[in-house]
Amino acid sequence: MKFSLNPITAKKLRRFRQIRRGFVSFTILAVLIGLSLIAEVLVNSRALIVRFEGKWYFPTYGAIIPGRTFGLDYDYATNFRELQARLEKEPERGWVLMPPVPYDPIENCYPGEFFRPRAPSFAERHFLGTDQLNRDVLARVVYGFRNALIFAGCYIVLTYLIGVSLGCSMGYFGGRLDLFGQRLIEIWSQVPFFFVVIIVASIVSGLGGMNLGWLLGVVVLFSWTSITWYMRSVTYKEKARDYVHAAEVIGAGNTRIIFSHVLPNVISTLVTFAPFSVAAAISALTALDFLGYGLPPPTPSWGELLRQGTSNLSAPWIVASAFGALMLVLVLVTFIGEAVREAFDPKKFTIYR
Amino acid sequence: MRDYFLRRLLLIPPTFIGVTLLVFAITRFVPGGPLERAIMEARTSETRRGGDMGRSSTSEEQLADLKAYYGLDKPIPVAYVQWLGKVVRCDLGTSHRFNEPVRDLITQRLPVSLVYGGITLALTYGVCIPLGIAKAIRHRTGFDNATSALIFFGYAVPGYALGAILIVFLAARAEWFPMSGFVGENFSDLSIWGKVVDLAHHAVLPLVCYAITSFAFLTMLMKNQLMDNLAADFVRTAVAKGVSFKTAVLRHALRNSLIPLATHLGASLTVFVGGSYLIEFIFDINGMGLLGVQSIFDRDYPSVMGVLVVSSLVLLTGNVISDMLIALIDPRVRFK
Repeated sequence: MKFSLNPITAKKLRRFRQIRRGFVSFTILAVLIGLSLIAEVLVNSRALIVRFEGKWYFPTYGAIIPGRTFGLDYDYATNFRELQARLEKEPERGWVLMPPVPYDPIENCYPGEFFRPRAPSFAERHFLGTDQLNRDVLARVVYGFRNALIFAGCYIVLTYLIGVSLGCSMGYFGGRLDLFGQRLIEIWSQVPFFFVVIIVASIVSGLGGMNLGWLLGVVVLFSWTSITWYMRSVTYKEKARDYVHAAEVIGAGNTRIIFSHVLPNVISTLVTFAPFSVAAAISALTALDFLGYGLPPPTPSWGELLRQGTSNLSAPWIVASAFGALMLVLVLVTFIGEAVREAFDPKKFTIYR
Repeated sequence: MRDYFLRRLLLIPPTFIGVTLLVFAITRFVPGGPLERAIMEARTSETRRGGDMGRSSTSEEQLADLKAYYGLDKPIPVAYVQWLGKVVRCDLGTSHRFNEPVRDLITQRLPVSLVYGGITLALTYGVCIPLGIAKAIRHRTGFDNATSALIFFGYAVPGYALGAILIVFLAARAEWFPMSGFVGENFSDLSIWGKVVDLAHHAVLPLVCYAITSFAFLTMLMKNQLMDNLAADFVRTAVAKGVSFKTAVLRHALRNSLIPLATHLGASLTVFVGGSYLIEFIFDINGMGLLGVQSIFDRDYPSVMGVLVVSSLVLLTGNVISDMLIALIDPRVRFK
């Protein structure tokens, strides 16, 4: 199949590009996502390049390099910051290039005193300070962003998969399935969402098995209804239109009608929901992490940072970093969402002057 | 119409049973539940009294007693039916943590959530409607854009995250507001005016967080609705036949625009009672939300179920009420 945009989609895209606020937000978010994908190169305790006794090493990706390789007296993973300090004294043996932020999100940079959050410092390259376990806040923000993105991505795929398949079959086939599905959704959408999610998440955490999959399962279990409901009503409307009848008349089967006629017409509107789903997923994950029922420690997350921030009142950089990151991403996503909605359904208003 | 509402009302009991049964069943599979905790406590106290460390000191008999005390000696369906029977008689069981009837715990905390919910509701509607009107009339002016930025910010940022930053910067560091609580420690010694000031002082930050999300949503709703209506033919006709612009907006367009806002009232009811779990948690406000979160932390399941009962009942009736409001306000709406 040749890839070509249909003219309506092209028009919507053009309109989206004209809404400057939304398009700029989209560009910024795309850059941020791109950067988060190569976060290992930017924020990492492993060196980017090591030149040691005539050999090149690129430790960022791949297996850990034991310290003995570089003439250190241990076999566990090399501490490249120490190596760098050492080689600076004996420059003839080689050199080390560290990433801009030379820290891992889960390593405790124990400074030789008791654990306490330390203020941002450019000299130590803790640009946003450290948290209460002396972990670099910027590293945790960056990797927390990546975790949130992974969560949001999986959340969207799952909810939309359930929503589209169930909603479409309910709307298209109708009958008993539709009736049963409607009652189920009516009941299910009345669950006090957040309270029940924390109850279930607390129990899964208590069983000790909390991971990304379970967390997704718990959140999706209580949030698939709205997309399903929407898909059902849209498919139901589309089914009554002439082109579907025409397709029936020429002898198209259900599968063909659904996949090549109804779905393409219905599914494009889902794009307008996507940004808001991302925002909802990130908020839910952050809230659960905040309560301690999200991804298990020491996974970096914004919710956990917010929680630390509220209990370390003398370390405002923790809460400020987490809040700043959360706010930035959610505002960008909201701008994108508004612009997409506007591009899909432009409203022309009469203005009296 | 009547049939529709009858059906909605009839759907409440099965929904309620579905939700509570689900959570009831889940809470039965928890490790570290009240039973294990009680056994642990019994053991540590035994050890302290110089008992033999090696042997399990809780006898079968004691275990059975404990199970009976926590209602874990029966299979889930039987236990659930018993629990439901008690709920119907307004008995929500006894909290493991406070050793008090859950009903008392809830009635103590409900007023706090009601006060915050009520003020939030009044504030948001009181500000959103005029602000929405002003924004609609001055569409795409400096005023509109400036307030829009603020509103998008409010829409995007979750209330509890805002709470976290406000409490660190404005309460803890700048010390402009108290850190937490519903009233100050010396509340009972204050004069009436002092009490009001104290209450207000404690309420500022939480209220900002409560209000922020629905505030943004409602203002945008008001603005968009009013703009839709201003563009409608009946307003154009009114202006054309010589009605002043002010009257056209306030009398003709505004009334129609208020309908969707009224429907949101039912949804706001849930915030009223359930509060916001996280906001009450952050500001340590002893309302329903904090009770819910803390009882989850403590695995105090009778209280968890109690909060669930109240919040789901409110949610269920709130939704029916908001539909009834639509039907009352807008005579064109017909439910099937």
